[in-house]
Amino acid sequence: MRNGAEILKLGTLTITWWCIIFGAVWIACYLVGVALPMMLSSYDSDMARMTAETLKALTPILSVLVFIPINAMFMVLIERRALAIFTVRLGPNRVGPDGYLQTAADAVKLLFKEDITPHGADAFMFTLAPIVFFAPSIFGAMPLLAAVTNYHELFQIVNLPTGIFFILAASSVPVVGIVMGGWASNNKYSLVGGLRSAAQAISYEIPLVLSLVTICLLAGSLDVVQIAKQQSGGILNWNILGGGALRGLDAALALKFSNSAASLQQLSAMSPEQVIKSSYVEPTMAALGLAAGQESMATIIAVIAVLVLIGATFIAYGLYMTGACAEINRIPFDLPEAESELVSGYNTEYSGIKFAIFFLAEFTNLFIVASIAAVMFLGGGDCPVPAWLGNALGGPQLASVINQVLNPLIQIKLVDPPTLFAAIWVILKVYSIVFFAVLIRGTLPRFRIDQLMDFGWKRLIPLSLIVFLLVVFAREFVNVHVGS
Amino acid sequence: MATDTEVDLTPRLKTDEMLINMGPQHPATHGVLRLILTLDGEIVRHTEPILGHLHRAQEWQGQNRTWFQYQALIDRVDYLSGMFTSWAMARAAEVVDGCEVPERAEYLRVMVSEMNRITSHLLWLGTYLIDLGAMFGFPFYPFREREKLLELFEEIAGQRMMFNYIRIGGVMRNPKDAWLSKLKKFTEEFPDRVDEYEAIVTENPIFLKRTKGVGILRKELGMDYGITGPSIRASGVNIDLRRTKPYSVYPKLKFDVPVNDRDGDTFDRYIFRIREMRQSNEIIKQCLDMLPQGEISGKKQIAGLRVKAGEGFAAVESPRGTLGCYIISNGSDRAYRIKWRNPSFCNLSILPELLKNHPIADVMAIFGSIDVILPDVDR
Amino acid sequence: MSETPAAKPPEEPKGPGLCGQFLKDHGIATTRLPDSCGVETIEIDGAHLEAAMKLLRGSSEIKLDYLVAVSGVDSADTFDSVYQLWSYSNNNELIIKVRVKKTDVVEGQLPLVPSLARFWSAANWHERETYDLVGIRYYGHPYLRRILNVWDWDGHPLRRDYKQLVDALNDKAPGSFR
Repeated sequence: MRNGAEILKLGTLTITWWCIIFGAVWIACYLVGVALPMMLSSYDSDMARMTAETLKALTPILSVLVFIPINAMFMVLIERRALAIFTVRLGPNRVGPDGYLQTAADAVKLLFKEDITPHGADAFMFTLAPIVFFAPSIFGAMPLLAAVTNYHELFQIVNLPTGIFFILAASSVPVVGIVMGGWASNNKYSLVGGLRSAAQAISYEIPLVLSLVTICLLAGSLDVVQIAKQQSGGILNWNILGGGALRGLDAALALKFSNSAASLQQLSAMSPEQVIKSSYVEPTMAALGLAAGQESMATIIAVIAVLVLIGATFIAYGLYMTGACAEINRIPFDLPEAESELVSGYNTEYSGIKFAIFFLAEFTNLFIVASIAAVMFLGGGDCPVPAWLGNALGGPQLASVINQVLNPLIQIKLVDPPTLFAAIWVILKVYSIVFFAVLIRGTLPRFRIDQLMDFGWKRLIPLSLIVFLLVVFAREFVNVHVGS
Repeated sequence: MATDTEVDLTPRLKTDEMLINMGPQHPATHGVLRLILTLDGEIVRHTEPILGHLHRAQEWQGQNRTWFQYQALIDRVDYLSGMFTSWAMARAAEVVDGCEVPERAEYLRVMVSEMNRITSHLLWLGTYLIDLGAMFGFPFYPFREREKLLELFEEIAGQRMMFNYIRIGGVMRNPKDAWLSKLKKFTEEFPDRVDEYEAIVTENPIFLKRTKGVGILRKELGMDYGITGPSIRASGVNIDLRRTKPYSVYPKLKFDVPVNDRDGDTFDRYIFRIREMRQSNEIIKQCLDMLPQGEISGKKQIAGLRVKAGEGFAAVESPRGTLGCYIISNGSDRAYRIKWRNPSFCNLSILPELLKNHPIADVMAIFGSIDVILPDVDR
Repeated sequence: MSETPAAKPPEEPKGPGLCGQFLKDHGIATTRLPDSCGVETIEIDGAHLEAAMKLLRGSSEIKLDYLVAVSGVDSADTFDSVYQLWSYSNNNELIIKVRVKKTDVVEGQLPLVPSLARFWSAANWHERETYDLVGIRYYGHPYLRRILNVWDWDGHPLRRDYKQLVDALNDKAPGSFR
């Protein structure tokens, strides 16, 4: 079947490009953050120590600067190839081996194109707009780096106690760039595109932020590292499934599982009695009839609360994805650049490198909202398989084998296993969301601007407020993320 | 004389209407139409279409090329349904000339024209979804089926779009048996494909939101403007020349013409085209069963082809509406005057009325729904 | 180039046809022309055109409510404005011709025919097109501009005596837009 072959090609392409992207980032970080400081440490002077510390501090920003352009190239390529599969076409497959280098060639082409400033445009604003649009995507997602690398020492510096707050603040800046570009282009299509973008961003930021606030409330923290860490321990602990409300189920299943297959490894240091007695487990277990519990009013309320919590967080995830799609102007919310109406919207007049920057920022923003979703809802760098199941399936053995294979690299500090595994899981989660966004793009038509506003203000915002309130009340009866 | 107490109440902000030029290089104008829109915010108050960017002097060609040469040119009038333009002129010339068309040729004409109607509607479906912003996804699926039909056309006429297959007096070539069986296979699987399209489009909530209640074409207004084709049938006027002024072998075939019972909006115009595709498929099936043996041309296809003196008007039901051809011949090897009555040209004239007081996002939704093809407008 | 069309006219039909009779009953004189392929064809004076059209369109018995096309023909000694009328409901058909003799046209001016665009929107673009290509001026038209050719085109291409003044492909004149 031709389609099967195409999907296989897409898979190889993806893995190859992942190796390129993350290999490049990894090596850059290693050189600047580990290798050079190690070399410098042989000199015993203040100057050397200071340089080493500076280099370590610069690692996060370097990693982002290396990552963004290569990643945008890959995302454009994967989007084109995946869309081609969805639409019974072949997609770009000529430049380089099987089209691997198509977007690299496109990028080179864009860089060499003439940079035109239209007649009558405000040249200063016209130049500033792509920068304002792009800059937040560099610094905005910094706190996420600490979360997705499992709080690696090199990335601890970018963590903020109010991380998610900072990310949200930064992610609302790009719309200024869009309006600026639309206004400065001296083109009516651009102007309408810019205005639409402003209206859309204002309306959809509210459900977006409210859904994230709900999660912060659930987690009791604004610190992305902490939010990610709380969710560790398998899919049942993730925020998308009530944020630890199912932890009791997890423990109970672990007990059952290890009892029935006693020969398998002990699941944890905790004894079964301890697990049952810990305060947050009881309601869930009672509900599922796994423990011999008494049917008190408190248990029933707790059961309802758990179910409500799971539903609410799941809806919050949907709200977040919808709001994020609108925030980054993707179909079905791509009104600022609606091709069939506004030619290309706010970037109609842009060409050459300025257009490339707009393009870059758009895809980087997609990546960032996907990473926020991964960290806030999908457990960050956490393995979706719960520990007890992982143990049963031979997880520890696999880990030790990997550790042995990687041992030489670990010795020279090139690889840090927790960071490596966290990074792999984050990559898989983030690109699944990206792929989902591509799938949406391949399916849905576009909203009209008034329908978009109706949908935002009359549906999403009330829904997000309801979800918020539900979580506020449900959280009173269920102990989530406590003590972790 | 102004005093201190007087307050200037005139608004400081300019709130004029905005003129916006849509096209001719706009990505969604299906070619080179230019619309001068007067916008009040995002609401269209006035529209002026500017035509002629694709004017190729087809009527002038008609009176300066011989009949035989001109036959090959007229597929370009409406390049998405070339069979119909050929057929309209062939019919007009036959009516004037009085020559007989063999029955097999008539069946073949109906068959290829209905195939062409399907390809035209399929292309319309794809581009219409692009107009609605479904940029990269579904629009390519109709092209999959269209491709199959184009391959069949290529086999029978040697061309994928400019067929030059229907000639004055008959058709150009006899199809092989293999061709007929391929076509039969296509007609068997095509309804499933249409179901597929309907499954993804007809119940899509965003699609319904974008099309329902948008661009309502009142019956009286449509009749005043002389709108024809699926657009007016979706508004409840039963004018389908295949039934109301039957020609060729259509009276012998069984098919219904879907007609709406209320004023149609863009969604109705969509759904009636879908239904028409199913009908065309049925017609092809019947033609395949009923195809008689015999001659395929009643007139010798030579370079010195002549049409007897006289004048006449003949029309066929093209995918876009009544496609008419008015011929005045003086018996020489070329026409004295050829006038085309193009459905796109007449249907487009209602656009300013339909767009009035709709937001700019609906411009393309409405413009796409009346299925205009610009070479057909500009000739 | 200037051969006459319909060199051998068939025998004149006897009386007026259905529509001709109808118009005669309402006091509008018409001349019956030879049928064009079985369709009744009448000639009418320009002055009565609008009244006749209103009658034909509005009356329930004729109800020719579908203006298919307006064509202009540069015949041997007349300019014809030809109206194809159909009916949505009945199966009627009618061709109306308004003929302006070339000898009546003032030198340097265009032949005049009254416009229908004010009460029949379908005529609007067709008349513009005929004005553009054949050069018949429809007086009373709300917006009589060229529609297919550019606004500053010289002459009317479907006239038999049309000479292209500018070779659009090889126009080397400075300042030319073409």
